[in-house]
Amino acid sequence: MGTATGIIKALNSGIKHLAVKRFTLRYPEQKLKFVGDGYQFDPTTGVGIAGYKGRHMLFHDKCTGCQLCAIACEGVAEAIGMVKVQEDWKQNKKGIMPQIDYGKCVFCGLCVDACPFYALYMTNDYELSSFTKEALIYTPAQLQVKPYVQQDAEIVFDARGATHG
Amino acid sequence: MTTQLPPGLQLEKLNERIMTLNVGPQHPGSGHMRLVIKVDGDYIVSCDPDPGYVHRGEEKMAEYRNYIQNIPHLERPVIHDSCNVLYPYCLGVEELLGVEVPERAQYLRVIASELNRCVYIQYWLAIYGIFLGHSTMFMWPAGDRELFIDLLEKMTGARVTHAFFVPGGIRNDVPANFEDMCLKRVNYFEKRIKEYAAIFYDNPILISRTRGAGVLSRDDAIRLGTTGSTLRASGVDFDLRKKEPYDVYSELDVHSNVLKDGDSYARSKIPWLDMLESCNIIRQALQKMPKSGSVRVKLKPNPKGGNDEVYKRVESGRGSLGCYIVSRSKPEPYRVKMSVGSFRNLICMPYLLKGEKLGNMPAVYWSLNYWPVEADR
Repeated sequence: MGTATGIIKALNSGIKHLAVKRFTLRYPEQKLKFVGDGYQFDPTTGVGIAGYKGRHMLFHDKCTGCQLCAIACEGVAEAIGMVKVQEDWKQNKKGIMPQIDYGKCVFCGLCVDACPFYALYMTNDYELSSFTKEALIYTPAQLQVKPYVQQDAEIVFDARGATHG
Repeated sequence: MTTQLPPGLQLEKLNERIMTLNVGPQHPGSGHMRLVIKVDGDYIVSCDPDPGYVHRGEEKMAEYRNYIQNIPHLERPVIHDSCNVLYPYCLGVEELLGVEVPERAQYLRVIASELNRCVYIQYWLAIYGIFLGHSTMFMWPAGDRELFIDLLEKMTGARVTHAFFVPGGIRNDVPANFEDMCLKRVNYFEKRIKEYAAIFYDNPILISRTRGAGVLSRDDAIRLGTTGSTLRASGVDFDLRKKEPYDVYSELDVHSNVLKDGDSYARSKIPWLDMLESCNIIRQALQKMPKSGSVRVKLKPNPKGGNDEVYKRVESGRGSLGCYIVSRSKPEPYRVKMSVGSFRNLICMPYLLKGEKLGNMPAVYWSLNYWPVEADR
């Protein structure tokens, strides 16, 4: 192949893309849709359930204050600390629950794997930025709240290529 | 000067012709590493690569954490190839603990590591494009990479640092419609990367930049101990997926890509051919994979290995990646040593750059498939 034909072919290949829809995801107008409600773990089978590893969610009625999540996080990120809560649960005699520092968390999900009581899950919420470091520390009361997420963009394929829906 | 200066502080003798250039350590695109290059006019006289700016002590850190807690930090050296980086560690720990991985998990591991290889190579190719001033080749791979990043996100739950492989299988089973989704994307991806040929690999401008630049002969490639795409571009057929198949690679038809030229063009083409091969492997694995079954063996909470040592290696995006684990009957490994492709490919840089023009330095440097963070660990 001659030099001229090679360059024309290369230019032609690029020019074809003027007619193709852009692949860019227009965040934050569009947000990618994930599978399910976030990463969960089934301790009876020892296998996780596929989902996005975002901000955690803590179920206060199931947490026993056993600290297994904090022990799992030791040496990984040391993001989990156990704090006293002013709540009365009969399964949680010590009254302690995990508090997660998202300035340290690496979102590996090993704390979810460690919880034997179905108390700690992960959610699809990943927009955690804040102006202060203190605001990144989520107390058990904040972790209890189910996040509101509106994620609906998906990659679709048609004759003109792939786009974000 | 009469006083004796300590080593490393000697003054350099000035030479009228030879000039010393420091390329890096703040090098856009490559990460942190320095090349001390001596030039005579436009020609490179000598090159001294100086890695170590991003040394993180991963190997030492691994001695203080148990076998499960090592997972998130051992994938950090190459975060966009995180499945392949964890692969030899998981294979090694499985042998230490005497665990047999379920077949479905083995297939899913192969699929995840091939997807991750494509993601890695697309990133590498995007940087190679921008190094050569070809900004379209930066945009296209960076965009198409998103197809597999999104798929891996649905599969593992994270975009780049998956922490997906564990000793004993994988963390979670894939979502319900994974096979269709994966097949659709692999087919589209393959069609898309074939378009790169016209704009990049058959482009006469790229060929004139890279052909004949930094030629590594077959004998030199073996003598210097290079690996991965650098070795295969010099005409040595050495792909661990074919030569020492791990997991279910022995049941899949793997073709290893070999080119004979040994120049930068061949080294840049091998990863692209590898991506096409990865698409074939994923399709085969999807077909042969058991449709249901267990994906993870339940281990004891704090597993202990015996008095034993094990060495496992896999073919990563940058060549063979070995992991040597010594266990002393404790929950923590006594020693974890990683033998990485990047560091082994770096050795041939002084040989390749000698006599090259300075303008060819980026083309030769990035064609070696080198990742500074992995080399320093």
